Amino acid sequence: MNRLSQLPTLRINPAQKISLNYKRKTYQGIGGDTIATALYANGIRIFSRSLKYHRPRGLYSLDGECSNTRMEINGIPNVCTENTLLKNGMTIKAQNVIGTAENDLMGFMDRLDWAMPAGFYYRTMHKPAPIWPIALKQVRKAAGLGKISPDFQMNGKYEEIYPKADVCVIGGGPAGMSAALTAAKQGLRVILLESRPWLGGFFDYRAAEYSNGIHLFERARELAKTVSETPNIRGFIHTAMVGAYNNNLITAFQVGGESDHFDERYIEIRADSVVVATGCIERPLLFENNERPGVMQISCAHRLARTYGLLPGEKAVFSIGHDLGLEAALDLSNLGLKISYVADIREDGQDPGLVADLAKKKIRFLRGWVAILAHGDKSVKKVTLSTIQGTHHRDVDCDLLVASAGMTPLTGPLTLAQAQLAYDNHTGCFLPKKLPVKMHAAGRLMGLNDPLSIEASGNLAGLMAAADCGATVEADLKQTRERLNDLPGPVRGCKLVQAPVKGRKSFICFDEDTTIKNVEQALEMGFDATELVKRFTAAGTGPGQWGIPGHNLPLFVAQYLEDSTVSARPTTVRSPLVPAFIATYAGRNHDMCKRTPAHDSQKSSGGIMRRSGVWKRARYFSRDSGCREEIENVRNNVGMFDASTLGKFRIWGPDALKALQRVYAGNMSKISDGKVKYAAMCNDDGCIIDDGVVVKRGENDYYFTTSTGRAGNTVEWFRYHTRYDGWDFHMINLTDAFGVINLAGPNARKVLEKVADTDVSNEAFPFIGYREFTINNEIPVRALRLGFVGELSYELHVPSSYMQSLWGLVAEAGKQFDIQNFGLEAQNVLRMEKGHVIIGSESEQRTTLHDVGLRFLWDRNKTQAKTVGAVALKQTEKQEGRLTLAGFKMENPSHTPKDGSIIVDSSIRGYVCIARFSFVLKESIGLALVDSPLAKEGTRLQIYEDECKGQHLYGTVVPTPFYDPEGKRLRM
Amino acid sequence: MFGRYKPLWGKTPRLKSSYDAVIIGGGLHGLATAYFLARDHGITDVAVLEKRYIGFGGAGRNTAIVRANQRTQENVPFYKEALELWPMLTKELDYNLMFFNCGNLNLMHSEAAMNAARMSIATAQFHGIESHLIDAKQCKELVPALNISEDITYPIFGAMYHPPGGIVRHDAVVWGLAKGASKHGVHIHQQTAVTGIGVENSKIVSVDTDHGKINTPRVLLSAGGYSAAISYEMLGVTLPISVLTIQAMVTQPLKPILNHVVSSGTYHAYAQQTLKGEIATGAHMDPWPNYTTQTTAYYIKHQAEALAEMLPCLRGVKFMRHWAGLADMTPDMAPIMDGNDPIEGYYMDCGWGYFGFKSCAATGKYLAQFMASGNCPDMLKPFNLRRFEQHRLMGETAALMDYSPDN
Repeated sequence: MNRLSQLPTLRINPAQKISLNYKRKTYQGIGGDTIATALYANGIRIFSRSLKYHRPRGLYSLDGECSNTRMEINGIPNVCTENTLLKNGMTIKAQNVIGTAENDLMGFMDRLDWAMPAGFYYRTMHKPAPIWPIALKQVRKAAGLGKISPDFQMNGKYEEIYPKADVCVIGGGPAGMSAALTAAKQGLRVILLESRPWLGGFFDYRAAEYSNGIHLFERARELAKTVSETPNIRGFIHTAMVGAYNNNLITAFQVGGESDHFDERYIEIRADSVVVATGCIERPLLFENNERPGVMQISCAHRLARTYGLLPGEKAVFSIGHDLGLEAALDLSNLGLKISYVADIREDGQDPGLVADLAKKKIRFLRGWVAILAHGDKSVKKVTLSTIQGTHHRDVDCDLLVASAGMTPLTGPLTLAQAQLAYDNHTGCFLPKKLPVKMHAAGRLMGLNDPLSIEASGNLAGLMAAADCGATVEADLKQTRERLNDLPGPVRGCKLVQAPVKGRKSFICFDEDTTIKNVEQALEMGFDATELVKRFTAAGTGPGQWGIPGHNLPLFVAQYLEDSTVSARPTTVRSPLVPAFIATYAGRNHDMCKRTPAHDSQKSSGGIMRRSGVWKRARYFSRDSGCREEIENVRNNVGMFDASTLGKFRIWGPDALKALQRVYAGNMSKISDGKVKYAAMCNDDGCIIDDGVVVKRGENDYYFTTSTGRAGNTVEWFRYHTRYDGWDFHMINLTDAFGVINLAGPNARKVLEKVADTDVSNEAFPFIGYREFTINNEIPVRALRLGFVGELSYELHVPSSYMQSLWGLVAEAGKQFDIQNFGLEAQNVLRMEKGHVIIGSESEQRTTLHDVGLRFLWDRNKTQAKTVGAVALKQTEKQEGRLTLAGFKMENPSHTPKDGSIIVDSSIRGYVCIARFSFVLKESIGLALVDSPLAKEGTRLQIYEDECKGQHLYGTVVPTPFYDPEGKRLRM
Repeated sequence: MFGRYKPLWGKTPRLKSSYDAVIIGGGLHGLATAYFLARDHGITDVAVLEKRYIGFGGAGRNTAIVRANQRTQENVPFYKEALELWPMLTKELDYNLMFFNCGNLNLMHSEAAMNAARMSIATAQFHGIESHLIDAKQCKELVPALNISEDITYPIFGAMYHPPGGIVRHDAVVWGLAKGASKHGVHIHQQTAVTGIGVENSKIVSVDTDHGKINTPRVLLSAGGYSAAISYEMLGVTLPISVLTIQAMVTQPLKPILNHVVSSGTYHAYAQQTLKGEIATGAHMDPWPNYTTQTTAYYIKHQAEALAEMLPCLRGVKFMRHWAGLADMTPDMAPIMDGNDPIEGYYMDCGWGYFGFKSCAATGKYLAQFMASGNCPDMLKPFNLRRFEQHRLMGETAALMDYSPDN
């Protein structure tokens, strides 16, 4: 196809040849082509088949309002070929076809539409019941448009940026550029988003006069140049705005150009004020076969010629309802398109100059006429025109039917931000009625049409945005308002919704093959709200979203319900306004996990690191899954464990003790100097949420630990529960600031002695003791003598920056005893043998301090009132029928029940929290939460494992700790 | 072939001045209860009051997943029955609810999670419900698009595979139940807002609406996310409910790629492919109370990040539509189904959070029984309101919840 190569409006580069593969053939496109324009240039007219009826579909708009031209590109489904730039070597496939788009074996479906009325699937295929599973398979196969392979790999680079702006302008047309320039003139930082690869919008391709002999496209380029020369405007082209959220958070995605280091990037903008100047798309004309290839919208035909140098057809008929149609007809006629008729829905109100020019060109002009039927099986061959009353008809041969009923303002960015729309009787459009604060609208989406008005409204919006940012612009505002008032306002719009047809093949939504008739059926069935019609007929839920049915659907519903004031509203528009890749949203997809300061040391010692909450932790070091070596080494020798993930806090100030008393169940006034206090926190239901230790480092100055999982919530927990008290205390989360080594085993002291600068003998540093000393004359250590794993052990807390060094020193000192690392699994078994609980493992959300056997951590006589959970602890103290923690021993030690097995009789009576074979005790032991009567010592538990097929296991409740019940080893 | 098109749930009836029962909320639970009241108990003089249009709230905003793999024995049989009701309702209502029995895969990303899953699986198996623990390789066989490599944020250890679950077309359930209820004589009043509830001597006597007053001895509150506010404002009954926004989204439609529902608590994401071919995906609620149905940028991005790792082929697929609804969460993530306490004739069905869809049929059945007889069926007894003041939370969730205002 020859291109019009001399037009000043072109955005193509004929010198650059680009090849593409389609239907096993290689075709040529040129630089600047989109995939669709390249295919069109190569004579391709049918791009896909429709969802239900497999109707041929072609180029209809150029901004992706429908799925007609969605195709599979390089394995990626549903690519909008209308605005995706052609790249060399692309492989293109038509979607939803068996065979080719031209010859689709499923084409016969179009004749079966009578069998598929609105929502037919709800009323069929379920009788008799056995046919449904079979039908279901067919439904699944028939549904869906594109295909993706489960092995598909999306290549390319996906970026994300989070710029901040004073003003964000959405839409780089004349109104948007004017707004951006006006706001920028006030010294504000402006971001301008434009979805096409160039600025210019509605002026970019039009040759009509702007003023004083300047053409619109020249004006567009002039504005674009000024914008690009304004340093405080950051313009993003080829960037589609997709979301508007609370407080002017705007999201968009940008398609990378050749020089960019990304393929697509996610942009999230926080702006003080937003201007929306997104213009209009066209409202489709509803008539029979209104989506036949060869039928297209005004701007599609016009831009094909003016932007891409492609005459859209040879013999054309226009059926339009807007002066833009007349302008396009004249311009295209000048460019060589033969136009036999221009049928204008409007009886009057046209620009007389345009009408006179049509006459000069000998194009027959029909007022009050409209297309009612496009003939031709696969593309338009002929059109039947009719008076809008349907009284007179005329058939006209053509291969191009330019059809459009009117305008649809692109109000999506506004309604996403909760703007209200109202039907405007003058323009026949739904226009923004109430705008959100710090959000302004300009240009065509306000119903404007005159170039000067469009720009003036942009200036006005720019000033209002500047005012939002604190600029002093009162005088300018007043002046601009006056200027806008003197300019032409919105033009009267065409109200026609549908041509005089029955509507069996008049498509209100192309993507879902929803016809006028389907909508009528839905309405008859009682689906009388636009939203219900949408859900029932699926209109507007396809890949083109609401582009095609957006305003026709509510207008049609209003017309059907004889609602002359049009109280119906377009269905809620959802983000993303333009479908966006999951890859783009995912961006760089950081894994934000935390590593302890001993991470590398552990990894190099063979630690298997696993994600555990926000941390990566060493799960085990042994080769055997039971971690026998690690466990026995701690029991008989000495091991070291990285406990850096423990929550660590300092709380200080005059009321620190009061705060501690509030959240801890125990009496925190009884913390002796140099001693550690074990303590627990409950919630208002008395349920245990945390345990840890508290030490007093000075007057009104405490250091305490929490479980790993609670580290993030603890400060807020304190603050929340003291929020009305006005207490004077400070808290700081030291979790990341300190690393912790747990040095445990009978030889632990021998290792510590070698490095500590102080006496750590049993007398000097006894069990439950707290000491502060240095190691190697330098490293400040807070040492806690605890026994979570049931052996002599020291928790050494050091500033994170010293952690690597200390880890190395301890490992070195321990070498002579053959010190070993141990990981989470070994710790888990060791502490279980000792009967110690881990919150979340032996407790559920509903487990109280009583249930878990830690009642001794509650001081019921505490004088400080209002301990969190104390009321519930009292009330539940003697409550029956609760799940209680019990230790048990298996009758047959060779079969240890799996964790999560349940305790049953005729019903479920509890479950196994943890069970292991104890290498030390040579028994299978475990902890279970069971109905309280079963927790009595000596009760026989019947254990039901998954997949046990009725084969139960048996255990007996025994007292805990299983290991060293007297606690001698802790005090060694 | 289809005959004339008649209003599916009858012509709009006139609001009468009295009904035997009034149901607040034209969602799934309200309509289901109305249907069963009329079908099983001969109480046909029922008004369903809906402020907007039927299915406006959670009924039309959920992601249509059904399953019976809950955690506790109080819940499992209830959801089992709900699951078994889909084919029966399809037949009875003569409306294809499009139950796709594809099964659910609940992915596990640690040894601890595998153990926790085992407890649910053993509970299911004990109740005769199919559910199995499978390893990562078996997951991959079921869902070839799954990424089971080690080098992702949360490598997959295995899954709880629950074959009886699947998806149901949620809108069809709303319309089918409305059709069935109205056929039995129930009046469905759309665009009718409740403005007050009349109580005399601790007994329900009337309901005020913006279309007039209704005398009635029984009221069911089943207004989803708005229940707690109605209960407090109109009756002074405080419910321990936090309302949170929950969001979901769909991709563009695809030919079949996911043959099972896939979910991951760790990634906070689940995905299922609707019969239309869209991948519907969502996650946990927003972590703060909120009565709006506004979406957030953070959420869709999070969802993309999760899917990009779990199901990497979806990186080449586009999100198309993102919406939000309300989840009414109780402290133990289990609902409140109660009645005649503290007000006679006042029934509550709320706090469903994000379990309201899968449970609706069973809820309707048992609540209808409750409302008709005045006696609470055994199945509903564990869900009473008093459990909260007695600190007897249900064990539907093991982990601590952090959405309530005190956390």
